[in-house]
Amino acid sequence: MLPDGIPGANGTGLISRWQRRTTALFRRAAVERDMAEEMRLHIEMEAEELARTRGLSDAVALRQARLAFGGGERFREEGRDARGTRWLEDVATDARYAVRTLLRSPGFAVAAALTLALGIGATTALFSVVHAALLEPLPFGDPAHTVVVWSGSFENSGSWMSYDEYEVLTYQPHIFDAVGVYDVETQSVTGAGDPERVHAAQISQRTLGVLGVAPMLGRGFLPQEDVPGANDVALIGYSFWQRHFGGDPAAVGRRIEVAGKPKLIVGVMPANFRMPLDYDERGATQLLTPLAASDSEYGAVPGPALAPGGGSHGLYAVAHLAHGVTIAQANNELEKVASRLIDEGVYTGPTRFRLTAVPLREQISGSLRPVLLILLGAVALVLVIACANVAGLLFVRGERRRRETSLRTVLGAARSRLARQFLTEGLVIALVGGTLGMLVAWLGVTATRAWAPRQLGLVSDVSLNLGVLAFALVTTIVTVLLFALAPSIAATRVRATESLKDGGRGTTISRARLRARQLMVVGEIALSVVLIVGGGLMIRTVRRIMSIDPGFRSDHVLTMELSVPSSRYAEHERVSAFFDELRHRVEALPGVERAAAARLLPLATTIGNWGLVIPGYTPPPGQTTPGDWQIVTPGYFETMKLHLVAGRVFDERDHDGSPVVYVISQSMANEYFAHRNPIGASMRLSDDSAQMGTVIGVVRDVEHNGLTSITEPTFYAVHSQYYRSAHFTPRTMNLIVRTHGEPLGLARAVRQQVHALDPEIPVAHVRTMDDIVSSSIARQRFSMLLLGAFGALALSLAVVGIYGVVAQLVAARGQEFGVRAALGASPAALVRMSLRDGVRQTGAGLAIGAVTALMLSRLMQGMLYGVTPNDPLTFALAMILTGAIAMAASYLPARRAGRVDPASALSAG
Amino acid sequence: MSDRADLLQGTLDLLILKALLPAALHGWGISKRIRELSYDVLQVNQGSLYPALYRLEDRGLVRSSWGISPEGRRAKFYTLTAAGRKRFAEEKANWRLFTSAVEQILHAP
Repeated sequence: MLPDGIPGANGTGLISRWQRRTTALFRRAAVERDMAEEMRLHIEMEAEELARTRGLSDAVALRQARLAFGGGERFREEGRDARGTRWLEDVATDARYAVRTLLRSPGFAVAAALTLALGIGATTALFSVVHAALLEPLPFGDPAHTVVVWSGSFENSGSWMSYDEYEVLTYQPHIFDAVGVYDVETQSVTGAGDPERVHAAQISQRTLGVLGVAPMLGRGFLPQEDVPGANDVALIGYSFWQRHFGGDPAAVGRRIEVAGKPKLIVGVMPANFRMPLDYDERGATQLLTPLAASDSEYGAVPGPALAPGGGSHGLYAVAHLAHGVTIAQANNELEKVASRLIDEGVYTGPTRFRLTAVPLREQISGSLRPVLLILLGAVALVLVIACANVAGLLFVRGERRRRETSLRTVLGAARSRLARQFLTEGLVIALVGGTLGMLVAWLGVTATRAWAPRQLGLVSDVSLNLGVLAFALVTTIVTVLLFALAPSIAATRVRATESLKDGGRGTTISRARLRARQLMVVGEIALSVVLIVGGGLMIRTVRRIMSIDPGFRSDHVLTMELSVPSSRYAEHERVSAFFDELRHRVEALPGVERAAAARLLPLATTIGNWGLVIPGYTPPPGQTTPGDWQIVTPGYFETMKLHLVAGRVFDERDHDGSPVVYVISQSMANEYFAHRNPIGASMRLSDDSAQMGTVIGVVRDVEHNGLTSITEPTFYAVHSQYYRSAHFTPRTMNLIVRTHGEPLGLARAVRQQVHALDPEIPVAHVRTMDDIVSSSIARQRFSMLLLGAFGALALSLAVVGIYGVVAQLVAARGQEFGVRAALGASPAALVRMSLRDGVRQTGAGLAIGAVTALMLSRLMQGMLYGVTPNDPLTFALAMILTGAIAMAASYLPARRAGRVDPASALSAG
Repeated sequence: MSDRADLLQGTLDLLILKALLPAALHGWGISKRIRELSYDVLQVNQGSLYPALYRLEDRGLVRSSWGISPEGRRAKFYTLTAAGRKRFAEEKANWRLFTSAVEQILHAP
């Protein structure tokens, strides 16, 4: 009957034996049939023999043969044992039995499986996020000792460096052993297929070395390539290489045009390469060229000396700490350097010059850190709670089945057999819960990857952390198995007869065990409060921020970035003619209300400032007159719907040939024109050759650098006139289109207009103004979602926990309630009695949670806006919500106490 | 389920292997052959026969297949495998050693 064709199927080896057993197991029905058939045959042959030799009648012979053979079932059992598949068949039977039993009490099964699923899934997903943001190694050589150095000028602590300041840093070998400096911009690349605007950086030769990264193909820049005039080489990013060269290594040695100038590709950066500040929506830098800094262009004074005021600030600096120097020491030393320079009179102002070194990790995931750390703690607690809840559920179940267990023990069931059956039940729960848990984890990570804003760089790179998944699975499943087994051992250890004698009435719960479970519930409620307070504070923050008037209307606005190459648009007239022509063409499109162009989009890119000269205003000693500079075409104010406070905004009268005019912000009017009418007043840029212009209007402040940041005095200049103010015309501008309908619906038509005007001009960053506004508070939103979701999770676990404890108490006191009911206690009184315990734990949990939240929410200070970390409203609402849900969860099982039938409770066996 | 069978089981295994040595037999045939070879002294308990056969099959000493018996019935036939023959030789030697030792003890003065 066994297939002879299987090689080794008849061998005596262990493998062939197991092969036979497996076959027997899977073909169990056939094997059983064979066995029955064989025994029937035996009996028939025996009967025939008896009839022949002893002359018995057929019927008598058959009966004798059967008697001689003995009970067929018993031999079949022994036959099965002999086949060695017995225990496997038992497992299958146990599993079937377990599934049937579990289906009989679906509430328990669902609660247990869901608790496991949420515990495993949420823990893994969240830990994966925290891991991605805080623990994942950064793609730099020595991130722990690499810093970004900021030069704090004016009120900003994190602001650009000047080339002169960078030079000062290179003369501090006791702080840094290597310093690099770079500039970022978006560049148009042509000569390699489709023209494209890419995120590019111009780097000093040492920059890659400081970061500890190297090209995967080709070479880095040579020192002689980083000098003025020699700047004709480039490194390309991995994805650019894939897109434009199909990953061909021969790309090294090819030529591309960057902003119309030919560059030789000398290398390709690895796929995971990013510059330290690339962890935002722009993504990884795809083009590197040498900074080729010349003192005349970048630095005002060669060498360690500084120009007054430090020179022009617009660069990013990275540095590697000297051996043995800590971040704190480095910052200490930098402070000394700054104060020495101030003492030398380079910086004339009061201590406004400040250098700060920020470690890469902090730079990249900085403000999310406290939220993630709170959540990391919560992750561990939630896993513990999930385990405790499942343990509790299994425990209650074990108690309820004590009588069954005792009965079966008395009837002769082996303890090991009973334990095995309980274990199988636990295994089924663990299997279902574990599978669901993996699904939840996968969903959580996928959702995070899809929805996490790209500004959170590292977080949006999250991948499922298999190590944590394994840990969560093992922890929970071991818990399940232990607690599934525990009641069976406890129950079988009880003298079975005693348990039966008292008719199962004595199912009192041990005080210690109950106490442990009650403490656990208190902890669960406290954790819920903490997380819900955190989520609530973030909700209030986000609502507050969203209610801030940014100073413009973001709805129905389409934006895109364009850049005209200096090779073909050398003269400033051509640049402004292009943008003027473009906005007129776009305005002619159906569905377009208004169109304009601006140097920078509010809330998308930080604005810089420019020193001003305003006749009639003298800055306080040691200070300058800075103004944030925005360059726009006429129509900008109408397109963005800025509020005009006084005077007029730019229109078609203001062009290259007309007098230079400026519009200023309300805060500039307040600051520099405090006691006079700014309209008609003169101002110019601090460059001595800049033409004097006239202020023609005042508009309300725009929250350009962030909805919650301080608004600096701002001035607006006309694009076509800016050449006369600052001797240059921005070639990269953002086209802004106010539409009647859905903005993105017009993207194609607008793009066609750009290409109709010049097919070589790449279009980048097509997005709506609404998107820009909402991604500017991506961190807050993301924290709100994380905390909120986790708070909800903790609350649902607390519900399961408190429900379980109250249900357990009610079940255990069933008889007592029966007696009380018989003695005249009203059902309502009984419900109240059983509720009392739930109330006590809820109260304790709320109190502990509130105190803990009070301590922890202070860590979130940096993320909050318009709400204090101890906001009474948030705390009150979180406690009311948690309290109400906890009470509801204990009321459901408590209701059962009121329904106790005195008669049945007294006579129940 | 240890591979070391007790004396009785070991004896039954030996007898089954011996019965199957000349030709394949079905279960009832085995019990009949043992009965005949022992001149009706040894009656194989059917309740032990089949478990013993399954055990031997599990260990790869015999192999079974369905066929037609001389009586014209469809029956399951057991055949010795090469391992079974080898085991029979070993068991026979063991048995000889064992019985001669017991004999020696019983004949001792």
